[in-house]
Amino acid sequence: MFELLLFGMLSGIAIGCALGVVFHRNPVHCALLLVGVLISVAGIFILLHAQFVAALQVIVYAGAIMVLFLFVVMLLNIKGETPLLTPGAAKFFGFLFALIVFVELIWTAVQPSPEGQGMPDAAPLPADFGSPAALGRVLYTVWLYPFEITSILLLVAVIGAVVLAKRKFF
Amino acid sequence: MDLATLIEALVKVHIVLGFVLLGVPLIVWMERKVLGHMQDRIGPQRVGPYGLLQTIADGIKLFMKEDILPTQADKVVYFLAPGIAVVTALAAMTVIPFGDTVTLFGRTIPLRITDVNIAILFLLGATSMGVYGIVLGGWASNSKYPLLGGLRSSAQMISYELAQGISLIGVIMITGSLSLSEIGRQQEKLWFIVPQFFAFVIYVICSVAETNRAPFDLAEAETELVAGFHTEFSSMKFALYFLAEYANMMVVSGVAITCFLGAWHGPFLPGPLWFLIKLTCFLFFYIWLRATFPRLRYDQLMAFGWKVLLPASLLNLAATAVVLTVMG
Amino acid sequence: MAPTVPLVWYQILAAVLFTIGVVGVLVRRSALVIFMSIELMLNAVNLSFVAFSRQHASMDGHIFVFFVMAVAAAEVAIGLAIIVAIFRNRETASVDDVHLLKG
Repeated sequence: MFELLLFGMLSGIAIGCALGVVFHRNPVHCALLLVGVLISVAGIFILLHAQFVAALQVIVYAGAIMVLFLFVVMLLNIKGETPLLTPGAAKFFGFLFALIVFVELIWTAVQPSPEGQGMPDAAPLPADFGSPAALGRVLYTVWLYPFEITSILLLVAVIGAVVLAKRKFF
Repeated sequence: MDLATLIEALVKVHIVLGFVLLGVPLIVWMERKVLGHMQDRIGPQRVGPYGLLQTIADGIKLFMKEDILPTQADKVVYFLAPGIAVVTALAAMTVIPFGDTVTLFGRTIPLRITDVNIAILFLLGATSMGVYGIVLGGWASNSKYPLLGGLRSSAQMISYELAQGISLIGVIMITGSLSLSEIGRQQEKLWFIVPQFFAFVIYVICSVAETNRAPFDLAEAETELVAGFHTEFSSMKFALYFLAEYANMMVVSGVAITCFLGAWHGPFLPGPLWFLIKLTCFLFFYIWLRATFPRLRYDQLMAFGWKVLLPASLLNLAATAVVLTVMG
Repeated sequence: MAPTVPLVWYQILAAVLFTIGVVGVLVRRSALVIFMSIELMLNAVNLSFVAFSRQHASMDGHIFVFFVMAVAAAEVAIGLAIIVAIFRNRETASVDDVHLLKG
């Protein structure tokens, strides 16, 4: 009962903020509304017993990535553009395509699975599901190779960002 | 969730909130007195005995001031920014343990508001969100110096957040848990400052930078950028920023005490009293730093954070891991 | 312990967020807002992963979210650097104005 109420509230906030991100004029407001989406999604993660991922979402996504976004928006001082949406017929094709994607996603989600059960209720959870210990146990054994590659990927991204944003000194 | 648990939680929230809201004026008074004596003057002495009511008088003055809204400022963000700063600071107070347990009316009540098993991550998240209070305050004022101050301040905060988090991982590795209550409980025999001394030093330096205190307070110093990100804020909004800064100081001191200085453990006196004594010593240390060191220039500050503290904390992490593996 | 909120609802919420992100990418002209809509889509996918992970009681979904976040961080850094570089040359952040390669 409590869970239902929380889910309703958090999903309402998430959808409202998401609509605000897409339809607001001022980019700073869009960024702040996106932070709102991220935090409400973190709340939904906690409802799904994913505490570590929720904490990561707040620390990494809302606390670092979006601050980077805000820095760039503020430093470039970009005002909202006029008109807001793509002019002409492209706008309607955009909405139509999005509608097609939505219908397809919903249809796939409510499909009965091959075992003929629909979306079965959750399997019983181990006691430390979603905790850092459980994640670490899987991350450093089964998924070690992708983990090491991701660290190299981040190094490459750092080098690339520095090179791209550098001014050329003659 | 039965009625007794609800009442217990509400009472604890009120107590901690009262503690912070009453503690901040006391810290401000202590700062002014201590700074005064270290600078060979007396500090506030007229309002109340020993100037104790000076901060209350200042609070009343701030409350009565005109609440200015700059013309081109972004109203919603201008209104929200001090709120975000205060809310994140107070939210971080919820996981700090003040003592072990106390037994009242037949119930064993743990002396903290809540205990999440990812308490340290929760704290890191709250301090990450605190950056928004600064950067939005600087931007919403729509003025040069606040914007520069806000951006510099937030860049400084996100840089020192890294080393701060990594320095805590040594303690987490020793205890095997992210929960602050667990870390506090395990320091009964040996305070973690002994095996993790360098982590403690790194953590303290990073905390001073995180809370924008001297010698890392370039972004809000009066002689540099007027008053940095809170230049254009007056009356209650400025009071909220002020409150947020000192509440943040209490939070990082509380975390340092819990993780390194033995939390509530000590001979003879009850747990919460020891916590209070250690907190006061720590805050005195903060004020002492302010009175003693000159300000760091911004590029010196950033270079120190990235080139010295971050590698040092990583080295500490590696060394702790090696020692723990060798010792089994 | 069966959850009181059926897991389909989480998938539907993820679908709604994903669609709003798609609308943002296709219909807005500001490069920064398009970028933010991409982040919205990534978040919807993360939500979907976590819901499935809960359904099957496996931590693999959380691992995927971990990697998605790491890759999103790298992508944001590079993408913003590109936008800054373009803005420095052309003084505009609208994707309609960077059409030099158009035939």
